[in-house]
Amino acid sequence: MTTETEATPTRDLESMDDIIIAENVDKWFGDFQALDNISMRIKEHEIVVVLGPSGSGKSTFIRCLNRLEEHDAGRIVIDGIEMNDDVRNLNAIRSEVGMVFQQFNLFPHLSVMNNITLGPRKVRRMPKLDADALAMQLLERVGIPEQAEKYPAQLSGGQQQRVAIARALAMQPKIMLFDEPTSALDPEMIKEVLDVMQELARSGMTMIVVTHEMGFAREVADRLIFFDEGSLVEEGTPQHFFENPQEDRTKLFLSQIL
Amino acid sequence: MVDMPAQNPQRIVLPPHRERARRPRIVRFREWARRNLFNSRAGTALTIITAAILALIVYGVVYFVFVDANWRVITENRWLLFAGGYPMDQEWRLWFSVMFVFLLIGLTYGTWASLGRRDHLFIVLASGFAILLLAHGGAAIWSTIWYLIAVGLLYAGYAIMIRMPRDASRGRTLQQRSVAGLLVAALPIVLIVLLAFGGARPRELEGFVLNLVLAPVGIAGGLIIAIPLALGRASRMRAISWTCTTYIEVVRGAPLLGWLFVALFILDDVIGGELIVRAMVVLAVFTAAYMAEYIRGALQALPHGQSEAAHAVGLNQFQSMQLIVMPQALRISIPPMVGQAISIWKDTTLVTVILPLRELKGNADSAIAQFEFTPDRIEAYVFVAVVFWVVAFIMSRISQRVEGSLGIGER
Ligand SMILES: Nc1ncnc2c1ncn2[C@@H]1O[C@H](COP(=O)(O)OP(=O)(O)OP(=O)(O)O)[C@@H](O)[C@H]1O
Ligand SMILES: [Mg+2]
Repeated sequence: MTTETEATPTRDLESMDDIIIAENVDKWFGDFQALDNISMRIKEHEIVVVLGPSGSGKSTFIRCLNRLEEHDAGRIVIDGIEMNDDVRNLNAIRSEVGMVFQQFNLFPHLSVMNNITLGPRKVRRMPKLDADALAMQLLERVGIPEQAEKYPAQLSGGQQQRVAIARALAMQPKIMLFDEPTSALDPEMIKEVLDVMQELARSGMTMIVVTHEMGFAREVADRLIFFDEGSLVEEGTPQHFFENPQEDRTKLFLSQIL
Repeated sequence: MVDMPAQNPQRIVLPPHRERARRPRIVRFREWARRNLFNSRAGTALTIITAAILALIVYGVVYFVFVDANWRVITENRWLLFAGGYPMDQEWRLWFSVMFVFLLIGLTYGTWASLGRRDHLFIVLASGFAILLLAHGGAAIWSTIWYLIAVGLLYAGYAIMIRMPRDASRGRTLQQRSVAGLLVAALPIVLIVLLAFGGARPRELEGFVLNLVLAPVGIAGGLIIAIPLALGRASRMRAISWTCTTYIEVVRGAPLLGWLFVALFILDDVIGGELIVRAMVVLAVFTAAYMAEYIRGALQALPHGQSEAAHAVGLNQFQSMQLIVMPQALRISIPPMVGQAISIWKDTTLVTVILPLRELKGNADSAIAQFEFTPDRIEAYVFVAVVFWVVAFIMSRISQRVEGSLGIGER
């Protein structure tokens, strides 16, 4: 894409096969430590589901991955790009990482179409016609092409979240972050969003998903990660987690949630 | 919803709303009157007393307007009231401005809204009043004709725009952009027409025309200053936010009249120029402080997720402000902004109050120079200003406290 030619961020070649690298990441809010020495590596096309009780730092962690939160110590490398104070690096990372929020955060003053095309047009400098075509294609993909001209407030929660997914995909990211994408939805709408996410996972997207949907975690995830009190307590395959968890805190959490 | 009765036959089925509304008007009125005017003995008594008082007032007003009052004082002096010292041979400039503004109103309504029955009624009544004023005495047939052309332009612009399709398209975008562009350019255009190329000098703006020029200048200028001011106040950089906060608190600390006196006496020594122009600057600076606070309030009311989502799709800080945050913040702050605009419109009368002082000051400056306290006059103003400022500052602090304890300012 154009941004890669105009801003050539520093790439760390040795670690190219791990698309996300976090090493000893700490995050403090004042004197409260929200993340404590988190290290993990995520491969391209991998689907990682993050579990953990409320306040355990799940959101904080994935928000560090596109710098909605700034980490205080340690190192984060996304697709070979070092996360640091260099604005060019940050821009490169943000256009490779899409994010879907619990509260959708659609832009209420813009139509569905403009919500989706805004990023491509303003950041990627895509011509309007191309951006519109891309947006229609994405709306087809999330199953609501007929809503293109509506405004977010005119859509149901499930439809809004699907627009939010389309909006993130419009930047053609390599990685998608989901922060409890179904937690604000009525039960009957959860499935339509999970279906879209499942389709996305099958298409080979690298995904990190914070969710309490255990069905999704069991079926779709390659790996589960359990957070508690800002630490990474346990990680493993769904099988490992649901049949043979090791840590007491993990067992306690799973017993409460299942 | 429509097939509800079929699913649930026990439900009492109300006729659709439109069905009910079709009852004869008189029946509906009787219903309404019974419920709202005569619902109890006390209610009936109140209604009768109120009606009696209203009738007395209406009688008084009508008697005054049609019998008692001598309107010639208005009609004979209409030019004085309306345009004051504006050079009479340049009258076309005024009419051109009126026509331009009327046309713009038509275009704007046709593009974004539509004229309802009440709007038409208002235009007709207002026009009747205007023509009564203009045509009275018969001397000013041309004024009436100019005015009618202006109204014609309003309707012509409206008729053209209302016929354009409203759904999103390139044509629609072009239409919106052009009208918005005209709206933005309107004030400079009117000012140029009125003042430039052999038009009036600013000091010749008088009467109603002066207010009509001052208020938009204050509002538009205020808005232009207010946006960076609000952003500055919300800035994380201390030096910037303190500077903006100081500006806002100092300006809000004194009443407009006080600042107009500053324009009259102090700014004269500092920047000079015509008093009217200085007054325009003061109005804009004054309005900006209030508008900045409304915008800041709106910025705080906006969910943080909006700018986060903007960053997440890759927009930078400036784009996020320009495309996501500001459009929404401005929309939220429209109601208080309109209030501010109305109050500035009324406050332009204060400018008229200080205008006579301009001669007074000019004459007095040399004479007054003999008095021993003259060099201290700025000190006197400063003292009064500080007293005003302290009281207003305390009020603003208290309101912040209240705001804080209600959790409005927090996110
Ligand atoms: N901006 C902030 N300022 C101060 N503390 C914060 C901030 N954001 C998060 N925290 C704190 O950091 C901790 C981790 O928060 P985080 O939102 O990451 O939890 P979470 O695991 O996502 O929880 P949940 O499941 O409720 O979303 C919490 O104790 C929270 O109070
Ligand atoms: Mg969270």
